[in-house]
Amino acid sequence: MTTAAETIIPSTATPQVRWLHDEHMGVQQNAVLLLSGDWTIRSLHHVPKVDTPVKEGTKPRIILRSEMTAFDGSAALVLARWIRQWRAAGLMVDLSQFPSRETGLLTLLDERLVDSIPSPIHKPSLLARLGEVAVDQWHEAKSFLSFLGELVWRGFPLLLAFWRIRWRAVLAEIEAAGVRALGIVGLLSFMIGMVMAYQGGATLQNYGANVLIVDLVGIITLREMGPLLAAIIVAGRTGSSYTAQLGTMRITEEIDALRAIGVPPFEILIFPKVLALIITLPLLSIFSDLMGLLGGAVVANYGFGVSFSVYFDRMPEAVSLTTLWLGLLKTPVFAIVIALIGCMQGLRVRGSAAEVGHATTVSVVQAIFMVIVIDALFSVLYNVMGY
Amino acid sequence: MTAPSLKKTDLPPPIDLVIDAEGIINQFGSNCVHDNLDFKLERGKIVALVGGSGTGKTVLLHTLIMLRQANAGSLKLFGVDTSSASTPLRQSLRERIGVLFQGGALFTSLTVLENVLLPIKEHGHFDPHWLNDLGISKILLAGLPAESAHKLPMELSGGMVKRAALARALALDPELLVLDEPTSGLDPIGAAAFDDLVRTLSDSLGLTVLQVTHDLDSIWRGVDEVAFLGRKKVLAVGTAAELAAREEPELQAYFRGARSQAFWLAAQQEKHHSHAASPSFPSETS
Repeated sequence: MTTAAETIIPSTATPQVRWLHDEHMGVQQNAVLLLSGDWTIRSLHHVPKVDTPVKEGTKPRIILRSEMTAFDGSAALVLARWIRQWRAAGLMVDLSQFPSRETGLLTLLDERLVDSIPSPIHKPSLLARLGEVAVDQWHEAKSFLSFLGELVWRGFPLLLAFWRIRWRAVLAEIEAAGVRALGIVGLLSFMIGMVMAYQGGATLQNYGANVLIVDLVGIITLREMGPLLAAIIVAGRTGSSYTAQLGTMRITEEIDALRAIGVPPFEILIFPKVLALIITLPLLSIFSDLMGLLGGAVVANYGFGVSFSVYFDRMPEAVSLTTLWLGLLKTPVFAIVIALIGCMQGLRVRGSAAEVGHATTVSVVQAIFMVIVIDALFSVLYNVMGY
Repeated sequence: MTAPSLKKTDLPPPIDLVIDAEGIINQFGSNCVHDNLDFKLERGKIVALVGGSGTGKTVLLHTLIMLRQANAGSLKLFGVDTSSASTPLRQSLRERIGVLFQGGALFTSLTVLENVLLPIKEHGHFDPHWLNDLGISKILLAGLPAESAHKLPMELSGGMVKRAALARALALDPELLVLDEPTSGLDPIGAAAFDDLVRTLSDSLGLTVLQVTHDLDSIWRGVDEVAFLGRKKVLAVGTAAELAAREEPELQAYFRGARSQAFWLAAQQEKHHSHAASPSFPSETS
């Protein structure tokens, strides 16, 4: 009995309905509906059509009879709906010849069924959605500003009372955001340095000005590429992990638990992250600058005949220390924006696991967007200031 | 003229054991949770699986519904030996079991209706025109209002989550309903209503119910039988009153302890109307 699968998985018989000849003609007009076959969720591929046997001016009594081989709650729904329709049409339905357990099931369903199936909340129109997005963005901006305000309001007192800063947490964040990012930042910066040297060198070569590769690579790397690249990598790597961490902690109510214990989440979670990034990102940028210059040097040496010694001799002449500072000055701002967006999106997660994923995406997109916008603003500012 | 009495399946002999587990051994490393455990569940019964913390209730539950492979022992579900069953056969066995997980385990990104329709669309072959109505009927059967169909799980209260999860467990019209702590986290009134609901569904849908529970109300009043886990085995099976009358110290501690006292007294004075010993038990809500 436990061997062949066929005996275990019951072969389903098609559910059928049939009107029988009236057996009580004359006394009262009856219509007997006979149900046969399997009436289950697995066999009702097509619910059979039943015409109500209403002739002109007559209201027959419908008697249900069963030769069904199986009947479950899903099939009971179909039958319960039919019975409702018949009753709504003023017909009598007689269940006295229907098996009792099945009748009980019909009664249970009938007690609970509602006539109108609620339709899903309809999607808003294009215009409404546009408005929604605009309002959302406005709220987003406002909440970022209030978050920034909170950082200043609560962060500065904390800086003065520096012994209350969780240095252990700060160091752990520095390791995660900085030390572990060295590999990828270094490699990418090196390669971007190479690319710049190739592209610039090809043009400069036409004028015999190969040596100007040093100026080109030096200025672009120190002022723009180094800090920007480091910031974008950190936004993708660290900002997203902040969001995921805080978002998950919100779902598991860990943040509420911290509050309840009397440990302000700002002190233990957010401030160390912001502080760690403010320390880490400038250092990463310096490393990125260095690797970018090295990448340029390799291409200049092997591709355009500017030897290493010439390259590094000329570098201090080509770029001033100011150039380096102009680049590095931007990085603490990047750091604050990345850390704040990461934390803010994480703390705004509500409810489900899918929300964490969504918040992480939003966090990375916003952080990179803001980094580039701020970079552009700095360029304008420097220009106005005459650097 | 009258139809022959209906059976849920076409199996030749009527099988009265829904679960038949013999010699189950579950081990985590050197830590043996179940040692040569036997468990049988008769069709149509509502049985509670109880025991202290760490006696492996959830592990046993997972073993019985094939979520975990026991280290040794044989498990027959609906009369089919699961160890020799082919993958499609095991799948078809799974479809005959509805499971309500402890936290509900609703898919958080889907609405209640979508949660209920997921197994139906995946495994059922129901008339597509009727699907929404069908899904809503399950939601209504589980005691939720129809309006909750389009809500997300995060918009539901704890009790509603349990009911929504029950609706999903009922989706494929299972023969065996497995509930992992269905009334935990519910207020006493809600818990009693849930017990009543399970009883009603069991009676009319012909369900067999196996539930892990700590709820004394359920154990004493809501179920047909209690299976007590202890000493790495199912130590005893019977009604709570029967188990309370037994000698084993574990059973004494569990069923005659301070919190069970009121139920124990009530059971002893069942015929007399004892006001003092009767804990509040509102059963008229459903």
